[in-house]
Amino acid sequence: MADPRTMPDALAEAARADAGYTFLSGNVERYRSYAEVRQASCRVARSLVEAGLRRGDLVAVVLADAEPFLTTLFGVSMAGLVPASLYAPAGTSELSRYLELTARILRASGAKAVVTTAALVPAFEGVSGQCPALALTTAYDSLDAPAIEPDARPALDDIALVQYTSGSTSAPKGVALSHRNLSANVDAINGPAGLMTTSADLAVSWLPLNHDMGLVGMALGPLYSARPGVLMPAAAFVKRPVEWLRALTRFRGTVSFAPNFAYDLCVRRVKDRDLDGLDLSSWRVAGCGAEPIHPDTLAAFAETFARVGFRATSFLPSYGLAEHVLAATFPPRNRGPRLEQISLRSMTDERRASPAREDRSVTIVSCGCALPDHQVRIADDAGDPLPDRSVGEILLAGPSVMAGYYREPELTAQTIRGGWLHTGDLGYLSDGELFVCGRVKDLIIVNGRKYHPQDLEWAVDDLAGVRRTGVVAFGVADAGRADRVVVVAESSGTAAPDAMIEAIRKRVGDLFGLYVDDVAIVPGGTVGRTTSGKVQRAAVKAMYERGELAKPYGVSKGATPPTTAEHDVPHSR
Amino acid sequence: MPPASVAIAEGVIGVLKNVSRRPIEPTLASDLVADLGFDSLQVLEVVAELEDRFDISIPLDDVPATRTVAQVVDQVARLVGERSNG
Repeated sequence: MADPRTMPDALAEAARADAGYTFLSGNVERYRSYAEVRQASCRVARSLVEAGLRRGDLVAVVLADAEPFLTTLFGVSMAGLVPASLYAPAGTSELSRYLELTARILRASGAKAVVTTAALVPAFEGVSGQCPALALTTAYDSLDAPAIEPDARPALDDIALVQYTSGSTSAPKGVALSHRNLSANVDAINGPAGLMTTSADLAVSWLPLNHDMGLVGMALGPLYSARPGVLMPAAAFVKRPVEWLRALTRFRGTVSFAPNFAYDLCVRRVKDRDLDGLDLSSWRVAGCGAEPIHPDTLAAFAETFARVGFRATSFLPSYGLAEHVLAATFPPRNRGPRLEQISLRSMTDERRASPAREDRSVTIVSCGCALPDHQVRIADDAGDPLPDRSVGEILLAGPSVMAGYYREPELTAQTIRGGWLHTGDLGYLSDGELFVCGRVKDLIIVNGRKYHPQDLEWAVDDLAGVRRTGVVAFGVADAGRADRVVVVAESSGTAAPDAMIEAIRKRVGDLFGLYVDDVAIVPGGTVGRTTSGKVQRAAVKAMYERGELAKPYGVSKGATPPTTAEHDVPHSR
Repeated sequence: MPPASVAIAEGVIGVLKNVSRRPIEPTLASDLVADLGFDSLQVLEVVAELEDRFDISIPLDDVPATRTVAQVVDQVARLVGERSNG
């Protein structure tokens, strides 16, 4: 395995190779060799140093397009500064609320600078008064100092990157990764127990770069191995899923990762006539992760695309999370998904994964074994290891465990205990292979993105008629699909329930691009609180699932009563 | 509404019904997200279907600002007009 190295060192090595990024956007295709990317990053680095930023300062990067984003990320790092990736606004319709959310992150993180688009600079200048540490708000285009290499260089244990994901705004939670973390994970991914990356490989991706799989897996993965990467905008894929497959065809792509929903979108939306021009025979690693993996989706994709050369053995279902850089476990290559059919009764009643015989069952995909030099274990509530086939929390240890949550020592100490990262996900081990079967934490996962209920609650609690302290959001597992998103809001009696339902849907849609499947408007006092003032989310969710929340104001139209689906994965509480 | 726009409105509503996973009855005043339940993925699916149906190209930058069925119809009508005049 390669020696640990910093991001600027990896870029310098890649700049000596004949490789680079190809940025696709509409009909425009731009190739930038790693040497050119490095040159542009030098300009960014020099500009930031000249602007007075000092070693270790945090620089928020708010750029949606891949080329400016990566150039800035590397430039910030070359200058000895710390880049923080923040979610860019989806549009301008809810810009003020977006800025309010983002200003909280800027303030809590103590960011010294924001690099964004020229169009957004005035908006960020408008909130700089709320962020005392913020000294510089600048457009990417104006970072054009001469490309002189800066003197400052990060060390291996310096923070390389802080990732603030889409849902981390109500209590900003930035995943801080050291250069050593990044190098350990990326090299393990590329290594012999991972993708076995060779000089013939080419990655193709549409994943957003503020997503760990998009940035680490599909942009840094190629860079650290000095292999080419083709990057396209996520919106282009979502608009026409076939564009992903066309890019793989055209560039003879060999490696591409995506969440389960992307494979599902391809099956549902790629039309028969589109298959004609496709050739997926070069695609040797079709990675799947970042959200629960449904065996049916993988099987349907393999069946649909077999006639254009796709091989089911290319599937690589894997497990990981941002707090572990990206990947935690990989199955052996060229095997195809390994499935186990598990009795639901044994899982819920005994917390054991016993093979199903006649009773209700759930099919679970193996996510493989821990990467070399990394460890995985299953633990009970006290953190003690459990034997094979016992269901418990997934814990991870090794060089990829994050440095911590940025400026959140208490939260970090709760999450990393005795060197073990507590993932909040549930699973079991069988012959060293990890099977993931649910989660302990209250996360809502839709289309590969994780949303914190607190963020949804915070986003809507100022709407007319909503009692500020009486909002609860949660996800309800929906058989084999994305979570159903539910918001329960106490009414203050000052707005009509119908108007409140509409306003809540609109706000969450605008801010998160997420549809709230069901809104329940309930009387004040319904949402209980603990003595420390936290909302009792689990209790409200249980009431909702028992159908006890429909009175007296009613539930939104179009809502279907929640059912316990045959394939539901049991929750721990 | 001129006859051409009526045809476009019918076409747009047909696309919306096809893309939605729920039984919906869109009107010109319906909001795509709040009333019809489209998430960001489905909005882009609608865009692709409209492009195919009307042989137009809808700039992605305009998508977030488009909220109601009437706005979609107006935009499609404008793009269809530009295509036939241009």
